[in-house]
Amino acid sequence: MADDNPDGDPTPRTLLRRVLDTADPRTPRRPRSARAGSQRALLERASSRRLSGQTKMIAKGRSHGARSIGRSAHVQARGHLEEQTPRTLLKNILLTAPESSILIPESVVKPVPAPQVVQPSRRESSRGSLELQLPELEPSTTLAPGLLAPGRRKQRLRLSMFQQGVDQGLPLSREPQGNADASSLTSSLNLTFATPLQPQSVQRPGLARRPPARRAVDVGAFLRDLRDTSLAPPNIVLEDTQPFSQPTVGSPVYHSLPCTPHTGAEDAEQAAGRRTQSSGPGLQNNSPGKPVQFLAGEAEEVDAFALGFLSTSSGVSGEDEVEPLPDGVEEAEKKMEEEGVSVSEMEATGAQGPSRAEEPKGHTQVTEAEGSQGTAEAEGPGASSGDEDASSKAASPKSASSTPESLQARQHHQFPEPAPPPGAAVLSSEPAEPLLVRRPPRPRTTGPRPRQDPHKAGLSHYVKLFSFFAKMPMERKALEMVEKCLDKYFQHLCDDLEVFAAHAGRKTVKPEDLELLMRRQGLVTDQVSLHVLVERHLPLEYRQLLIPCAYSGNSVFPAQ
Amino acid sequence: MALSTTVSQKKQIKRKAPRGFLKRVFKRQKPQLRLEKSGDLLVHLNCLLFVHRLAEESRTNACESKCRVINKEHVLAAAKVILKKSRG
Repeated sequence: MADDNPDGDPTPRTLLRRVLDTADPRTPRRPRSARAGSQRALLERASSRRLSGQTKMIAKGRSHGARSIGRSAHVQARGHLEEQTPRTLLKNILLTAPESSILIPESVVKPVPAPQVVQPSRRESSRGSLELQLPELEPSTTLAPGLLAPGRRKQRLRLSMFQQGVDQGLPLSREPQGNADASSLTSSLNLTFATPLQPQSVQRPGLARRPPARRAVDVGAFLRDLRDTSLAPPNIVLEDTQPFSQPTVGSPVYHSLPCTPHTGAEDAEQAAGRRTQSSGPGLQNNSPGKPVQFLAGEAEEVDAFALGFLSTSSGVSGEDEVEPLPDGVEEAEKKMEEEGVSVSEMEATGAQGPSRAEEPKGHTQVTEAEGSQGTAEAEGPGASSGDEDASSKAASPKSASSTPESLQARQHHQFPEPAPPPGAAVLSSEPAEPLLVRRPPRPRTTGPRPRQDPHKAGLSHYVKLFSFFAKMPMERKALEMVEKCLDKYFQHLCDDLEVFAAHAGRKTVKPEDLELLMRRQGLVTDQVSLHVLVERHLPLEYRQLLIPCAYSGNSVFPAQ
Repeated sequence: MALSTTVSQKKQIKRKAPRGFLKRVFKRQKPQLRLEKSGDLLVHLNCLLFVHRLAEESRTNACESKCRVINKEHVLAAAKVILKKSRG
């Protein structure tokens, strides 16, 4: 505790920690005045979000930046009404039972933000709550903020990942600063996090330390279910995204690649393990809203790699019934995140998806997410097996389906749909067809428009002027008549100007020609000169351009 | 029917001259000729005056026929007169 951060530079967190350790947390003013001022400045400098979590836990009433925890501590911060500082809030939090949702490290990233939408620094607050329990083990807690001090905003993200990684024993490769120290500290943190987190982890088994493979499996199965459109006949909604359900195309493609998906799945598994961890628990444990969001985001990615699936995944589904599920799920997740998925991965997911169709039914949320993904993928591989589609359809058609369907429908309208879900395909094709039908007629109308419109648009200006000058209601046919008159007038005008310019031996029409024309028209007379007309009818800007005027410096504009 | 097909009157009108439109029309009509810089403003002035005269004439015609609304025939008759007058 006493030692500074391994970083070397005393960060606000370390300072706060020191203060916390030394000062009496119950009197926020005292310590604050003593050192809080300096620390406050430091803290305020740092992003409030970043510090909210850690400083709160450390300061326990020493607050400085983040007021994110204010929500819970408002009630108890009566004593310091004037200062609803994070410190008081932290104290209140400590007094009150910390919410389990906040404490869960993994859920911090996703579930925590959802319930704590109000607070901008959701992660920090969650982390802070996490660390609230840590103070009980002070030495460990002090380390925690120290660890987090190095990276600014990145720490937020890294902390969540870090926590997950710590739990999982993954190395903290993302911390840019103090990696060595951070790693050692993280290991120590592991201990600290592990003990207090266990109760929460129990509540949320998905968030607790789990082998990445397991989580991936769930997600993989989930994704596979999504892909297995053929298995789930009720998932017609998902199927609907496919405008063309042509099982023939998908099935042969699907069966053609039996082996590659496995290897690719494995690689994808590991790569996606990290992400699946965050996404997996989020998918499994979060409310349907989360999976929907996740799915929506994934749907697009899924579409991207679903395309690959179509081309590559062939015949995999039927053969890899048992193994590929976890791999496929992971891959699917990863792909969704990284749209550029390798063919092998896509094949793997595709293979695994259909095989998993049967299993993931248990995971409602997972299946939902997978369902949306699966629809995209199912469209690609073509759901070689009808049962796959059926299973995926059954799982998915929930809220997630709507958004991913729309996305998938648009993107995968070209993909053939597997034959097995003919009913689903029919239903899916029905909504998709009208979309397709609407598109072709549109381009036809754009042809003749550009020709007449600009001319008419210009004329309409004068037509409006006509109606303004008339000061009487007019019929539409009368306005059309005015347009014809204007056309004729312009023709006459150009001819006259050409004659006048030719008479003067010029090829350029000059204002003198215009004045001559107006004189002949009877608009300009000896009593009424052109300048008078210009002043009467044209706005000031044009007047300045037309009528030569003397300006300072012995200059005349426009030059004569 | 006349009421249904009447156009609402605008209180405010823009005073800007569609210079691009005028130049394009002139170019399309007489590609061999060139129009000077301020020339299109004068052309616009000319159009304004033409339209003004046309509107006045149409209004007169409509009032003479005791119609509350300007008809196509009024405009047609007015155009005949004004176009003849506008010949250069």
